[in-house]
Amino acid sequence: MKPSPFTYHDPHSLDEALALLNQYGEEARIIAGGQSLVAMMNLRLAQPDHLIDINNIPVLNGIECQDRLLQIGALTSHQDILQSELVRQSCPILTNAAAHIGHYAIRQRGTIGGSLSHADPAAEWPMIAILLDGEMEIAQLSGEKRTLGARDFIQSIYTTDLAPEEILTKISFPCLEENEGWAFKPFARRRGDYFIVAVAACLTLDQSGRIKRLRLCLGGMEATAIRLDEIEQGSIAHLPDENWIREVAKAACNEGNPVDDHNADVEYRRELVEILVTDALQDAFKGTQRG
Amino acid sequence: MSKTAFRLNVNGQDYEVLVEPRKLLSDVIRDDIGLTGTHVGCEHGVCGACTVLIEGKPQRSCLVFAIQARGQSIRTIEDVADENGDYSTLQQMLHEEHGLQCGFCTPGIVLTMEAFLKSNPDPSEEEIREALSGNLCRCTGYQNIVKAVQKTILRGHEEDKEIASL
Amino acid sequence: MNQTNDKTAFLNAGKTLLRKEDRRLLTGHGRFTDDIHVVGELHACFVRSTYPHAKISALNTAEASAAPGVITIVTAEDLSEWTTTLRLAPPIEGLLPIEMTALPKDKVRFYGDLIACVIATDRYLAEDAAELVIVEYEPLEAVTGMFAAMEEDAPLVDEELGSNMISHQSFETKSIQKIMKAADRIVESTFATARQTHLPIETRGCIAEWDEGSQHLTMHIGNQAPHPFRSVLAGRLKLRESQVTIVVPDVGGGFGQKIALYREELIVAALARHLKRPVRWREDRMENMLASSHAREDFARTRAAVDSNGRIIGLMLELIEDFGAYCFYPANYLARVVAMILTGPYDIGEYAYDVKVVLTNKCGNGPMRAPMAITSWIMDGTIDNIARELELDPVQVRRLNMLADSAYPHTMATGETMEDINPGTALEKGLESIDYKNFRKRQLDDRTRGVYRGIGICSVVESTTYGSKFYKAAGIPGSGHECAWVKVDPSGEVRASAGVMSTGQGYETAFSQAVAEGLGVDPKDVAIKLGNTDVAPYGMGSRGARGATAGGGTVYLAAAAVREKALAIAAKLLGLNSADHLSIQEGRVCWFFDGKIQETELTLSDIARTAYLDPTSLPDGMEPGLEVTKAYDPPPMTYSNSCHFCEVVVEVNSGIVKIERYLVVENCGNVLSTQIVEGQQLGAISMGLSGSMFEHMIYDESGYNQTGLLSEYMMATASELPEIEIISVATPNRRTPIGLKGMAEGGVMGSIGAVSNAVSDALAPFSVVIDSHPISPLSLRQKLRKSH
Repeated sequence: MKPSPFTYHDPHSLDEALALLNQYGEEARIIAGGQSLVAMMNLRLAQPDHLIDINNIPVLNGIECQDRLLQIGALTSHQDILQSELVRQSCPILTNAAAHIGHYAIRQRGTIGGSLSHADPAAEWPMIAILLDGEMEIAQLSGEKRTLGARDFIQSIYTTDLAPEEILTKISFPCLEENEGWAFKPFARRRGDYFIVAVAACLTLDQSGRIKRLRLCLGGMEATAIRLDEIEQGSIAHLPDENWIREVAKAACNEGNPVDDHNADVEYRRELVEILVTDALQDAFKGTQRG
Repeated sequence: MSKTAFRLNVNGQDYEVLVEPRKLLSDVIRDDIGLTGTHVGCEHGVCGACTVLIEGKPQRSCLVFAIQARGQSIRTIEDVADENGDYSTLQQMLHEEHGLQCGFCTPGIVLTMEAFLKSNPDPSEEEIREALSGNLCRCTGYQNIVKAVQKTILRGHEEDKEIASL
Repeated sequence: MNQTNDKTAFLNAGKTLLRKEDRRLLTGHGRFTDDIHVVGELHACFVRSTYPHAKISALNTAEASAAPGVITIVTAEDLSEWTTTLRLAPPIEGLLPIEMTALPKDKVRFYGDLIACVIATDRYLAEDAAELVIVEYEPLEAVTGMFAAMEEDAPLVDEELGSNMISHQSFETKSIQKIMKAADRIVESTFATARQTHLPIETRGCIAEWDEGSQHLTMHIGNQAPHPFRSVLAGRLKLRESQVTIVVPDVGGGFGQKIALYREELIVAALARHLKRPVRWREDRMENMLASSHAREDFARTRAAVDSNGRIIGLMLELIEDFGAYCFYPANYLARVVAMILTGPYDIGEYAYDVKVVLTNKCGNGPMRAPMAITSWIMDGTIDNIARELELDPVQVRRLNMLADSAYPHTMATGETMEDINPGTALEKGLESIDYKNFRKRQLDDRTRGVYRGIGICSVVESTTYGSKFYKAAGIPGSGHECAWVKVDPSGEVRASAGVMSTGQGYETAFSQAVAEGLGVDPKDVAIKLGNTDVAPYGMGSRGARGATAGGGTVYLAAAAVREKALAIAAKLLGLNSADHLSIQEGRVCWFFDGKIQETELTLSDIARTAYLDPTSLPDGMEPGLEVTKAYDPPPMTYSNSCHFCEVVVEVNSGIVKIERYLVVENCGNVLSTQIVEGQQLGAISMGLSGSMFEHMIYDESGYNQTGLLSEYMMATASELPEIEIISVATPNRRTPIGLKGMAEGGVMGSIGAVSNAVSDALAPFSVVIDSHPISPLSLRQKLRKSH
């Protein structure tokens, strides 16, 4: 289990990195935290000829909040997100999701941009990005930038819209509203494992206590996390009572087109969705009452 | 493939190494620098035996290429006891509580928990177990490791009290 | 100070001595195989099969041989010149002889099987070259299940055998058939353990050094049984045993995986000799998972004839083990023990067993901590099923069938004699500690709230320290004796050695205590030298929970013999007629009289100096020197016992099992080192819980392993395992030195039974019974769905 040979590149600016990507195209891979990539390289499942290390591009690292938009540099580690007071205050579901990623040492080096670019369907960030309609900022060689919503960015298992010569530079999340309830409920066999099924929800109520907005997302039921648009729309103006939760949970478990594997058959995934949606909505509702 | 020369700072000392860029930090620390306390257990980031501190943070040295660690300070198990060979409190407690058997996972556990306790001085048992969950141990069932960590915390509190009472 | 005026009291055994091994291991200065480097060393890397079962139609190494750093690439043909074929053909009825070459010649038998070996100057380069070896396969149908393997038209794993059933043995008492026929009620139960692997955190590996000048091979390798390993290695390399030295450094766990001579190690040694260069190999984790050694995968069915009170009047066991593709051990070795000791603490006079072992296209099996792990689950699971079917309390059924503690020694129907155990006491003590009386009420109250709580009980009679007589009687090849020496040097320093080898158990500490006890010195002053076959005496190694009793016990006997000689010298030096009133404590000769103790001026160092440097002062006819080598063959079997209690809550909607309490009552006799014994118990219980709840080596139907990574093969982490409470009700063994017993495997046996029985108990309202492992949330949901 040793990686095959590659040429190592250590650009110190984004332009430099983009130029290298342009030069080597599909033969190159970007390495950020490398917590998935290096494992794959050790197994020789990935054998890039050129490895472009973006760890020395400081502009890619950092957390800011402007105009109720939380902006996280792609190179920011899971641990930095987990420990950020700014994140905790503006978008606490990110703090919670970060705590579920891998293990303590993995969180120190793994990055949010790396995780999103890798697009593992059982990973936390792609799912949370889809839940919150995060915006991906992507740099191109031309010096241009393009931005893309998470649902367009993440296309399938390990597949994103990122072209070989592009770099994901920043992810923006709209801050949660005041009194917005939220919950992230992953189910895994062991602590730190990729989830088998996960549910994430955000809920806001209007002044009369009816639902103003629901965001509900399932992981582990498709090749990417899925938003339950119809349920979200149908919930508007509904009273967030136990009945509603039960109905949503029942409806949600019919969503998606999951597969059988040795951790979960289709029916079990649906059973888990029902349990986790119930838990998530109860927690999210509680969150709306914190006021 | 061509080798590259660069300098690594390990346990406060600079080492010149000449290795291929693909060489893993774990292998360079062990084979080129000769510090064999860092153990290699899985080479895909799961077992935690190879954990070292890079800039004070516990990281899997099997998931980092040595060349990536140029200019950063690396700390390995050999640097945890002081220069007289006296154990850190955590090492002492692992010794007293029988928190190791074969000892192969131990260096990774010591470094992970040293760093963890520094940033979380008063964790619950659940938090200790969560932090430890990235280090596999086949011998102990973890119970005595958890106990040792708890005693380390208690010892820290006692020392704080002593300082406060001075 | 360890001193007493009771000459017969233990001064060192049964105490906690902080481990001597810890300093080096805690500070990064342990010395494991991979930490050793030899000048000029080369690296081995193996080319492995990507098919589960296939003929090798062509093998092309040309491009690979030309790759940078490559010294050579060898194939089956090369190896057949340098090594002999292993033939396992012990004279055991029902066991087919089987042969294995160093590399498979014409076909591969499992996914990960060996094909060729690349030798290069660097491991990275060796792996580069291994990728370039071109193998052409002619795929064959694979047989991946034990039942499929027994079908008549099943593909054959080994054509030479003519059958996949490599071993079949049975036994029955005189009247069992009659009893089963006449019985009013037969309770049938089934049990299936999953395929697992040992998963030492240090994988296997070795360094072979060939000294052309002296024609000598030195092999550095983490191994549990260095001498038997040397015998096999020398034989297969066609060397004399004196030409081979095995040096075992620190070992990062073994659990049974590091006993046999595997093919990779043989090949590395053969190549070192052929190339006249040191060759090293480090098994990577994927190789370890796919192709080192697997374990378990037993299926058992019991049929118990019972009366209306739940009394078992006859028991039949059918056991099938899936042994994988290769045999590094006689195939009957593991399953046979289960059948021999099944009835354990229960009074079952009429008994029959039928044990089959089959080959399949999977990685070969070997003994893993508690090769007989399934035993206690089968027995106590059967008891629980009887209780359920007859609507009786499971404790009541246990009490009814259990032998009274006063009934021991007791001989089982199979002829196995258990002695000095107290399963009744262990059960009752545990019931009291866990408050069983109130548990059932709590359970009912919780059920009304939708909380499904259960308790599982598992009584274990653990077979430990197998003596030669057991092997002989059970038809298993092997000796159970152990050998040790203790030497007091002229300086007074004490050294000791034995043939067993620690893989993390702390022998340096425990054996120091054994020497200290036998000789009368401070354990801190004893140096233990293990693992080098030129230094250690020939012993049978570490396996079958024999470290303390066989290893420590023999060390103790040797130390006691040294003391006897030392005291004879002391008597002479003190001008006494006899040594009857003398003993040694803390290295000083003491005089005991009227229950009082008086120190003399004489120390062990003085005696040693006399023994070596002033032999004319020794008693008449005494040999100079102060050292003793002793061999000791323990009783046929040294039984320990324990009773495990596991309380769980099962979330029926999700299938998640939470262990709320785990308690074990242990009787493992007198012990050498209390802390180490407790550590072994915790480790064994954890391995059993992890195994029965999480671990599963999964092969798909075509024979591909789906769990070759640590992220896929689920070993429990610190977050999944419970806190374990241990209560001791120890009684010494009457025959062994110090009254020692083994104990490192019973935890596995008990925990897999206790947790399985607990989940079944919790799910009784749904009539769900745990009959297979792992007890995954998915498997519980699948069972619960059927029950609705």
